[in-house]
Amino acid sequence: MPYLSLLIFIPIVTALVALLIPGRYTRVFSWLTLGVNMLQAIIFVIMGFTANGGLQLLEKHSWISVSLSNWGHLQADYLVAVDGLSYPLVGLSVVIMLIATFSSWSISKSRKGYFILLLVLNGAIIGSFCALDFLLFYVFFEFMLLPMFFLIGIWGGPKREYASIKFFLYTLLGSILILIVMIGLYLSVQSPESSDKLVHTFNVLHMQNPENFIPGSWFDAASSGSWRLWAFILLFIGFAIKLPAVPFHTWLPDAHVEAPTAISVILAALLLKIGGYGILRFVYPIFPDGAIYFSDWVAGVGVVSILYGALNALASKDLKRLIAYSSVSHMGFVLLGIASATTEGIAGAVYQMVSHGIISAMLFLIAGVLYDRTQDRMIENYSGLASQMKHYTAFVLIAFFASLGLPGFAGFIGEVLIFFGAFQSHTYNNLIPLWMPVVATVGLLLGAAYFLWTIQRMFFGPFSIKANHAELNDLTAREYAMLLPLAILALLFGILPQILLNYINPFAETFTGMWFSLGINQNP
Amino acid sequence: MGNSITILFVTLLIPIVSAGIAFSIQKKYSWLSPIIGAILTLSAAIIVLFPLFSDTQLITQYSIPWLSIGDTTVSIGILSTPVTRLMAAVVLFVSAMVHIFSIGYMANDKNTDRYFGFLGLFTFAMLGLVYSTNLLITFCFWELIGFCSYRLIAHLQEKPAAARAATKAFLLTKTGDIGFLIGVLILWTQNGTLELSTITATGIWSTVAGVCILLGVVGKSAQFPLFNWLPDAMQGPTPVSALIHAATLVAAGIFILVQLVPVFTPTTLWIMTGIGIVSALMGAIGAWLATDIKKILAYSTISQLGFMVLALGLGEVTGAFTHLLHHALFKAGLFLAAGSIIHAMHQATFQAEINVQDIRNLGGLRKQMPFTFIGFAICAAALAGIPGTSGYLSKEMILTAVHQKNIWWIEFAVWVIVFTTPLYIFRLFWFAFLKPVIRTFSVQEAPWIMRLPVLLIAAGSITFLFQNGHPASFATQILHTAFEVPPSIIIISAVVTGISLLTAWLSRNLSARTSDYIIQRFLDYVNLQIARLVAFIAELTTLFDKKWIDRSIHAVAYSKITLAHISGWADRNVVDGSVQGVLWITRGLGNATRSVVNGKIQSYLLWAMAGLLIFILWMFY
Repeated sequence: MPYLSLLIFIPIVTALVALLIPGRYTRVFSWLTLGVNMLQAIIFVIMGFTANGGLQLLEKHSWISVSLSNWGHLQADYLVAVDGLSYPLVGLSVVIMLIATFSSWSISKSRKGYFILLLVLNGAIIGSFCALDFLLFYVFFEFMLLPMFFLIGIWGGPKREYASIKFFLYTLLGSILILIVMIGLYLSVQSPESSDKLVHTFNVLHMQNPENFIPGSWFDAASSGSWRLWAFILLFIGFAIKLPAVPFHTWLPDAHVEAPTAISVILAALLLKIGGYGILRFVYPIFPDGAIYFSDWVAGVGVVSILYGALNALASKDLKRLIAYSSVSHMGFVLLGIASATTEGIAGAVYQMVSHGIISAMLFLIAGVLYDRTQDRMIENYSGLASQMKHYTAFVLIAFFASLGLPGFAGFIGEVLIFFGAFQSHTYNNLIPLWMPVVATVGLLLGAAYFLWTIQRMFFGPFSIKANHAELNDLTAREYAMLLPLAILALLFGILPQILLNYINPFAETFTGMWFSLGINQNP
Repeated sequence: MGNSITILFVTLLIPIVSAGIAFSIQKKYSWLSPIIGAILTLSAAIIVLFPLFSDTQLITQYSIPWLSIGDTTVSIGILSTPVTRLMAAVVLFVSAMVHIFSIGYMANDKNTDRYFGFLGLFTFAMLGLVYSTNLLITFCFWELIGFCSYRLIAHLQEKPAAARAATKAFLLTKTGDIGFLIGVLILWTQNGTLELSTITATGIWSTVAGVCILLGVVGKSAQFPLFNWLPDAMQGPTPVSALIHAATLVAAGIFILVQLVPVFTPTTLWIMTGIGIVSALMGAIGAWLATDIKKILAYSTISQLGFMVLALGLGEVTGAFTHLLHHALFKAGLFLAAGSIIHAMHQATFQAEINVQDIRNLGGLRKQMPFTFIGFAICAAALAGIPGTSGYLSKEMILTAVHQKNIWWIEFAVWVIVFTTPLYIFRLFWFAFLKPVIRTFSVQEAPWIMRLPVLLIAAGSITFLFQNGHPASFATQILHTAFEVPPSIIIISAVVTGISLLTAWLSRNLSARTSDYIIQRFLDYVNLQIARLVAFIAELTTLFDKKWIDRSIHAVAYSKITLAHISGWADRNVVDGSVQGVLWITRGLGNATRSVVNGKIQSYLLWAMAGLLIFILWMFY
């Protein structure tokens, strides 16, 4: 069964079908989306019976095949597969999209358009995680931006237009950088599958093998004056914008603050992961020499993101902005883990992406619960919520402490594995100086500081709120249904890390093994 | 899996079951959760005694892999040694007593479900730390303990002071925890494993790791310079203070040191000794200056833990561990007795606006609360190190060790500590129980459910056991510690304690005047300044984010719009004049770019596409 194609195209085809349904049947669209999510969940569970950490469920069809006379042969494939990196992220996407549908249930403004865009986004995100052909990935990547742009720009808050344009410009800049490198790569790589004639290919697996580079081409490692380091920088920045890493992050707080809850959840839980995924899938494996050359820079950007994001979160007066900056801080850990290029660090980076996906989704849902009731996100306008909303406060505590890395929750495993890798790197491959992870630990303290301070200000103390006509009911059944599964997942992956690591480990080992096979000096 | 391991595993499960019941019980049955919790914890405290007495010397462990990646495996398991079994027995005993006491103390509280839930979780976390076979798992439970104490200190969450105290406690201990984590990671890079049984360390890194772990202990066990959260943590309900101060939170730090001291280098041990002396003295002075009954006991904890850290620094592991266990019992007894007093005074002075925790408002409770008086007196005697109590035994052990080291200034410092301890605890004892009453309240003795735990714990602080003709406490009996105290130590210690009590008696009325503690205020001030500095930096980064990063992005966007304007103008005026055919095309282009004025996206797209086109052309030609 082409499980991956089903996962990708069920939502897209449904979106096309939904276009034909008249917009006045407002209930149909949400149910249709929910049906798609359920179907995807079932498919994912079926996939899980046979899944392991290796490359699997590969589907390959020739997509574009044009002979361009003396420029060689253009070959792009429909090539999708999952491995230990993408499999957990696909699973995360399925869960998060389901929860996002729940969260969108009460959207009132043009439901047809909203849910169609949500479906397109759904397919594009899963497509991005599965595509192993660079051109195919790029198409899915671009397909993600447009629905997001409209979802923020139409259904967002008061400053939605500014936020959506800023989001679009930033990510478009990233796309351009990726596009440039992609074209360069395309021109530099030949397919090993046909030996008689020159066939240019977008196949990422071929790009990862230095033997497939055409001698003397732009990105050929062997030829002197190669542009590989530049390509590394461009591609890295392209994905670092998505991650987002400081200083390419300022789109994130604005986009989050203005986006409706469900979109914030998708943005934080899934779209940011494309950045980390891209670095692990494209940047590092294709340009390992650049990765080694710039390892301390990558780690440095990670450490700066951790601290800078945390400091900004500390100074945030808006709850959603605080959570957005905490995302910057937590994704900085991903960079630190990747830069270590050790098995532990890489696995930790993937683990951190999954755990951040779960926990940040919870955080934004929590912010949404409050915003739904009072239309007010300012921290200073609340006090003593714990006495009014008991169950809500319980989930806030779970989410906040999970996010600040309390053992028992998934976030801790990711962070501690990253620290294992980053500390080990010093003696193992000398890519990161020891002071960097040591400084990064301060981020943990700052993380505790901003979350605890928020709890102290908003939830403890005597009860008072500034918002008018506010009815502070505790969680509804629907909100429970969104928060509880995420809390359980965060706990499950925190207490039994091996369930997830069984998939991630083979990927991390192949990833680090690649450095040896390339003959790159591992232990100076 | 041996019999001993199975029983320890069951004792680990019982508190979490108790917590689960408390958290999930329905509101109308929530009165049940204290009773269930108390019964469950008490049963755990009883069954843990079986392995303690049956396999006294057995050392065994059982573990399964928990997380494995690359060459790293972290296993989770249960370590059963005399030390862990004794610690577990004391933790469970104190926890059970606190549970029983809380049935009475928290009877009027609305959130008993949360209270007993976190009490259970707290006990579970502490036991997990005690049983852990791997340093990373130890760290996990270490953090969990911090979280539980945070929630319990903030139990009265509507009081801003309680919320502040909880945040302060968590952040200061977390500062130490960061050190602990770094230490653990360094040990891991040096050893490639974190199994407690195999960790070794040599060279400079082991000193660094040791100092880092020591920082964690300084945070958790409230040592100088991170102790100022502990007096504030008194905002929590009194039974919680008993649990935190006696057998769990602060004891965790000492317990880790007991396990890791063999790994430490001489440098680390010297630093430990220094920190121990300073903390012990500062704590004792703080206890003598404070007027709040709970704060006196809090400072006393800092002092006593400093005493243990000092002993560990000198390599006296058995003495320090024994003192940890003895202290756990008598300090729990003191806190629970203090809880009884506060409870009784609250009921007696329901209408009056007086601070019932201020010792100057107490007095004459000896007659009104005779049982609490007896319990408190025994525990206070154990703290002061009066012969016949458990505290005396462990104190003598440590004194002997100090004496054998033969370093005059350490010995001098230790005698000062021995002198000050009876001084402050007698002061409290005098004010609460003996001093003539100024205002009479009809104070009622606490109900039996609260009296019983105090008396049981007090009973545990008396040495009624004998071993080889020497007096022995419960702990020394199990540990088979054979120690010889030189007669000179016995005599000097008796003289110092006697002089101390005499001084305390003579200065009894003098000691009510002072209440402000400069060191505490100084540390609070330093914390505040650090917090302000961090907040200031945070404001700066926010400003930087808005002013520089965002503004430069805007500048780029506007420059592009300007470019589009210029190109539009050029289209209309320059290119327009050229060939007819070209004119038509450029008109179209001009129209397209002119529309850019309103929206930035299209301009950007066009700009990007042009750039791309130039790039591609440049590549080919």
